[in-house]
Amino acid sequence: MTEETFSDEILMRFADGELDPDMVARIERVMEIDDRLVTRVAMFIETRTQAQAALKPLLDEPVPEKLVAAVEQMIEAKRAGERVATVSVLPFGRGRIARPPSRSQWMLPIAASLAAAVVGALAGYWAAGTNERTRGGLWVAGVIRPALAQALATVESGKEIRLAGISDRFRAIATFRNDSRDLCREFEVDSQDRSTVVSVACRSGDEWRVSFAVVAPGDAGGYAPASSTEALDAYLSAIEAGAPMSAEEEIKALAEVRQKGAK
Amino acid sequence: MPEKTDRVQDQLVAFLPNLRRFAIALCRSRDMADDLVQRACERALANEQRFEQGTRFDAWMFKILRNLWIDDIRKRKVAGPQENIDERHDIAGVSGEREMEARLALNSVAQAIGELADDQRDVLLLVCVEELSYKEAAEVLAVPIGTVMSRLARARKNLAEATGISTAPTRSAVIKGVRK
Repeated sequence: MTEETFSDEILMRFADGELDPDMVARIERVMEIDDRLVTRVAMFIETRTQAQAALKPLLDEPVPEKLVAAVEQMIEAKRAGERVATVSVLPFGRGRIARPPSRSQWMLPIAASLAAAVVGALAGYWAAGTNERTRGGLWVAGVIRPALAQALATVESGKEIRLAGISDRFRAIATFRNDSRDLCREFEVDSQDRSTVVSVACRSGDEWRVSFAVVAPGDAGGYAPASSTEALDAYLSAIEAGAPMSAEEEIKALAEVRQKGAK
Repeated sequence: MPEKTDRVQDQLVAFLPNLRRFAIALCRSRDMADDLVQRACERALANEQRFEQGTRFDAWMFKILRNLWIDDIRKRKVAGPQENIDERHDIAGVSGEREMEARLALNSVAQAIGELADDQRDVLLLVCVEELSYKEAAEVLAVPIGTVMSRLARARKNLAEATGISTAPTRSAVIKGVRK
């Protein structure tokens, strides 16, 4: 029998299981009679085994909590973003006058960014007006002024009032709880010279905080156009907004808010 | 919409130990490795839609991480050591490196792996340690499969020489030695 010669690469492929069965059989036949070949193959098997064993401790090392937390946070943010972007399932229907979705074509893709950005933009919206407007701004950095806070704690959903001291119209739309079980209110504010702001405010400790707001484009007066409510719907599904409360539940919940506020 | 279990975001956390090990072996510093892992995860999530279902998730992640690492090295070479980000890395790198060295001293094989040329080390890590196929490794490294094989063979010869890995005949093990 003539001894076949095999290259290192072929032997390595043999050791790594990367050879076709015919070649494997040929090498195995020669190994029966050629110890040198066995040694050469053994080197490739050993280096693999040893490399694995040498780096095993690194695998067993606990991943720093900080790193895990950072990655989990990224994943959570990504998931929240996906929920915001997915508006196929709305938390609840709203009895608005739906308009043709002319704006929704472009509103929808930016709904996600809107939901994140609008709160920051609020101050700008209110501050952009006259001095009077700036002084009378309804909220600053998400904290609500007394007139609005009072309206949030008193006006039943479906009712509309004029805010004390400001001529803006306030309209309560719904009351619900978010994923943290905080009491939230969806509402709209029309200013005389500006368009409608569609907003959500939730209780945080003893105060209301605006967690969402979008300036609805178009004419003021009347209900916000459908396009802005799509952003709102996306936001509501992101915070896992519960179903709107019944009138009785709402009265009870608002009474509790007023009681706590009075203390 | 892909199956939930196949999604990048669902596999990422469980894969962190492997990804981190690969990163530490590449940059030889835990601090730098952790930063690298975090950025790799960020990029993976941002490009989640590019992950091909049915392909190996680990190979995809290794590729992202290694490309980031290569970018880092390239930037460092271009910008020089004065650049802020490099300064931060270097400072982090010093303590991390010492730590790694201390650990590696206990393990001559790990040390020898660390001393391999980068291209040999990378292919050894992917095939021998992380158990990618030659084809998968070629894809991660963006080189032909022939290059993977020649680098891998060299890497193992060098490793055997450096560590005196026994190459005495172990016939029975070898006969059964075909892994797949």
